[in-house]
Amino acid sequence: MSRGLVFDVQRYAVHDGPGIRTLVFLKGCPLRCAWCCNPESQQARPEPMRRPALCAACRTCASACPAGAGKRDGRGGPVLDRERCAACADFACVQACPHDAISRVGREADAGELLFEIEQDRDFYRNSGGGATFSGGEPFFQPEFLGELLAGCRSRGIHAAVETCGHARTDILLALEPSIDLFLFDLKVLDAQAHCRLTGQDNGLILDNFHRLASRCPDKVTARLTVIPGVSDSEENVSAFAGLLHETGLETVELLAYHPLGLGKWDGLDREPLLRPEPGLAASSLAEVKLRLTRQGISCR
Amino acid sequence: MTTARTETAFTPREVAASPSTERTAFLKRRYLEEPLRVDVDYLRLLTESHRRTGGLPVLERRAEDHAYALERLTPVIHPHDEIAANKTRYIRGAIPYANYAAGPFLKEMRRQVQDAQQKHVEQGRGGGIAGALERARKEGCRVFSGKFLISPQDYETLREACEYWEGKCFMSSGQRLWKARMLEAGFIEKGWAAGLYTAPHEPCPEGRLILDFETALAKGYWRMLDEIEQRLASPDRRDGRRAEFWRAAKRVLGGALAFAENYAKEAERLAAAEPDPERRKRLGRMAAACRRVPAQPPRDFREAVQSFWFTYILGHLEGSHLGYSPGRLDQTLWPYYQAGGVTYEEAVELFEELFVKMTQIEYLASLSWQGLGHGNLYQNLILGGLDERGRPADNELSLAILDAQIRMQMTQPTLSVWHDDSLSEKFLLKAAECVKTGVGYPAFFNLKTYIAHETAASGLPIETVRKHAAMGGCTEPVLQGMSYGVVQAGFVNHGKLLDLTLNDGVDPVTGDRLFEPRKPKSYEDIRASYLDKMRVSVRLWQRYWNHVMAAHRETVPLVFCSVFVRDCVGRGLCMDDGGAVLNGTPTTLSSGLVNVANSLAAIKKLCFEDKACGLGELKAALDADWKGHEALRKAALAAPKWGNDDDRADDVFLGLFDEYCRWVPGEMNYLGEPYDPSMLAISTPVPFGKACAAFPDGRRAGEPLADGVTSPFPGTDRRGPTAVARSSAKVDHTRIRGGLLNLKFHPSALRGEAGSRNLLAFIKTYFEKPGFHVQFNVVDSRMLRDAQERPEAYRDLVVRVAGFSAYWVEMSKALQDQVIWRTEHGL
Repeated sequence: MSRGLVFDVQRYAVHDGPGIRTLVFLKGCPLRCAWCCNPESQQARPEPMRRPALCAACRTCASACPAGAGKRDGRGGPVLDRERCAACADFACVQACPHDAISRVGREADAGELLFEIEQDRDFYRNSGGGATFSGGEPFFQPEFLGELLAGCRSRGIHAAVETCGHARTDILLALEPSIDLFLFDLKVLDAQAHCRLTGQDNGLILDNFHRLASRCPDKVTARLTVIPGVSDSEENVSAFAGLLHETGLETVELLAYHPLGLGKWDGLDREPLLRPEPGLAASSLAEVKLRLTRQGISCR
Repeated sequence: MTTARTETAFTPREVAASPSTERTAFLKRRYLEEPLRVDVDYLRLLTESHRRTGGLPVLERRAEDHAYALERLTPVIHPHDEIAANKTRYIRGAIPYANYAAGPFLKEMRRQVQDAQQKHVEQGRGGGIAGALERARKEGCRVFSGKFLISPQDYETLREACEYWEGKCFMSSGQRLWKARMLEAGFIEKGWAAGLYTAPHEPCPEGRLILDFETALAKGYWRMLDEIEQRLASPDRRDGRRAEFWRAAKRVLGGALAFAENYAKEAERLAAAEPDPERRKRLGRMAAACRRVPAQPPRDFREAVQSFWFTYILGHLEGSHLGYSPGRLDQTLWPYYQAGGVTYEEAVELFEELFVKMTQIEYLASLSWQGLGHGNLYQNLILGGLDERGRPADNELSLAILDAQIRMQMTQPTLSVWHDDSLSEKFLLKAAECVKTGVGYPAFFNLKTYIAHETAASGLPIETVRKHAAMGGCTEPVLQGMSYGVVQAGFVNHGKLLDLTLNDGVDPVTGDRLFEPRKPKSYEDIRASYLDKMRVSVRLWQRYWNHVMAAHRETVPLVFCSVFVRDCVGRGLCMDDGGAVLNGTPTTLSSGLVNVANSLAAIKKLCFEDKACGLGELKAALDADWKGHEALRKAALAAPKWGNDDDRADDVFLGLFDEYCRWVPGEMNYLGEPYDPSMLAISTPVPFGKACAAFPDGRRAGEPLADGVTSPFPGTDRRGPTAVARSSAKVDHTRIRGGLLNLKFHPSALRGEAGSRNLLAFIKTYFEKPGFHVQFNVVDSRMLRDAQERPEAYRDLVVRVAGFSAYWVEMSKALQDQVIWRTEHGL
């Protein structure tokens, strides 16, 4: 059994694929989206994440840190110097914190162990039409591990979905396609330059992959658009997106509303998001995008 | 996209609706604006009668006193009411049953402490309670029992009545008996002081009772009277004991008919004086109904509702009930609805009024019991289920009842669903819609589990169990119209037993010694010591209650209610004498086992497996309430916990649960049947927790215990609701009468029809495993925090507590915190 890097497993997940699902989050992503709501999913290695709300500023973590990464910020609050942090094997700061204010994000997991956990809710999947969803990060970033998880689901008769940003090697994507029941294909920005600026990667590969999957197995592809106020909700972007769907023959889209839930996590990682969209606009922005797409013959879920 | 918490706005509940008509909107508004009041009328009349009925045999005396009061109670028909009869003269009124327990009332008047539990129990302050306090200041009234308005004149009446009943009431008779006859009486009293038991239960000993409404409606009182007359004319009359019951039954039915007739007259009087022709017509219709029922069978749906309501209220008036329930109203009324006469919308509107009327019944008892009940009388209306032959029983009235509560969102009756896979999808989706309003009902119960329990426990045929299965009280199944309803509703606090185990038999809070010292060395020693203490505490509690029930039989036997419980009339025995078909309903209740299991699992892990600390060190940390022992507490919190489908904790729970279930039936109840094991919660986790020291599972001193029966301790269920369900389903629920699993969902987890279907799939899967009960709070915790800060904006917010829902603003702060604290699933 191969091992991979996972940062969370959520049971009774109901927003990513049909029915009641177990959601496995694989850690590591090729994109660096400026608004990312799971910034802890980006790095392909375990890292400590602080929970500032629980922190009592007792500095126990700083004294425990073998690398001396415990620091204070300008206002005297505790921060971790990420340059120094060596993500030591036993996460000394996490062990030491008496207030549970630092947690370790990311663990090496065995595919067999995850499949065992996925199997626990088999009856819930059966009665709800659910299954497992592999999300991230970018699941295709760990192809062997993902392949083993998918094969495991297949042999157990469990419906398997993969949520992807599409930035993956095409040969891997196509090789794993037969063991995937559903692709949740998350698109953001269609303009190549803007995509590069906002995510750090060109979207050529993503669009190419999208076309290939849509022509090869259209029934298995759910296109999703993350509606980020001021980023992906512009008229041009929405029209381009509608155009893409028309080209590929897909007629429905799942809209994902931006939510600011990830902002606290950026803090906990001692990082600053490149973009802080206005959360108050999320609802109206979503409604507007929905209207535009509907007008262009795309049905929204 | 994944989850975390945000500090910004909260997500509202998905389903919002409002009353069907202006009339029912008015009824709800009126309810919300009224203060709570004491109504002394019934007690005054009962006392007046009791003064002159000395010498009558006890059943006849009880019947005479109740009937005397029924004949003389003032009939009050409030503006816009279309269903006649109320328990009190007020919109929100409570009767002080001094004939049950005068002591607590007198103690309040004398400014004495009522009982040892009082200090652990809090009441709410907002809503109608605030209204009562404010009006008391303005109108020169008094506030009684912390929340009821009472005029100075009524206060005097109450005082006189209480003084009359002081030595005669059920409570004082019982105390004379058990304190003199029970060798271990001192243990019970020390147990109360330590918080091992809930407060003395005489102020509200009964309920969990559902009358035989089917017969009451189908036969009518006249025919029932005829049948009693025939028995009195038969040779059986020579059996003095049976004849006494029949004479009493006849008397009390006579009183009940006079009560209905008084309402007919009042409706006629109001109709004659009514200028508005539409209202006059409606009053006329009400008067005609009161002339017809409950004497004769109803001719249409409205009369059927009126007939049900008369019997319901008449039974309610007789006793100091908690858990007295309407039962399977969708089945009881179905034949009358089928006969036609009302549209679906008209039926919904009538139910809306009915539910306001049920919520209007308030409950006045000792402060401890008021705090435990939080003003709810646990009136449980259960829908769906199966018919006698095993076919799905949900019908259009099941939908109408759900629709009525979706639109009204009253705290009572609490709705339940007898779940079976064969129920229609339409009905189940409607039930899910009701859950999504956030009111916390319907609760879902697995019918198969109960059938297995009851057929085994009672030996009754499966057809009977299917047809009569209902819920009497929060989560205790009984057979409608055929079960004994005077039951021990007091609880044993498992958490306190743990305190006593860890402190060598001494209560760490009061310093009282309850058990001989015993120095446990191994994990097995600790577990054995805990179980021994559980066994002693349970057995003495059962024996104590058997003595109390002997006094119940001699002071306040239920006569009217017995007439409507099969087969009291046939056997010529009231319920207190074993007249009911099913006498196995008295339970021994307990709560708090999850914390004990978590604590034992932590001791095992920390002290014996990991050897992270010794027992002495752990004890020192508990004595210090974990202060200065943060690292150890962290390890304790990380130890295996119930609710994560982790056998290391779950097996501990299951082992303790088995021992409890094996031990409880070893004692016979006062009717000679084995006590039935049960676990419930009501509001006990808060006061029970308040009475307990810190626990090895990481819980701090005074914090509430885990809610429900199989609900995880808040914050310790880290693997989502399916893992909770898998842990909970490991419990063999067929062994107990009752069970309770609370889950809290964020509204977004149930969004849309897909969300409803997922919820139903969740319930179906849990019940396949098989679980017994589950109920949901669907609310964003941030909204609840906002409601704590701005109560004025949330007057009609309802949340689920345990086997009941309550208005948020009328809950105590401690209970509010407990609901917020519960783990919220899905975002």
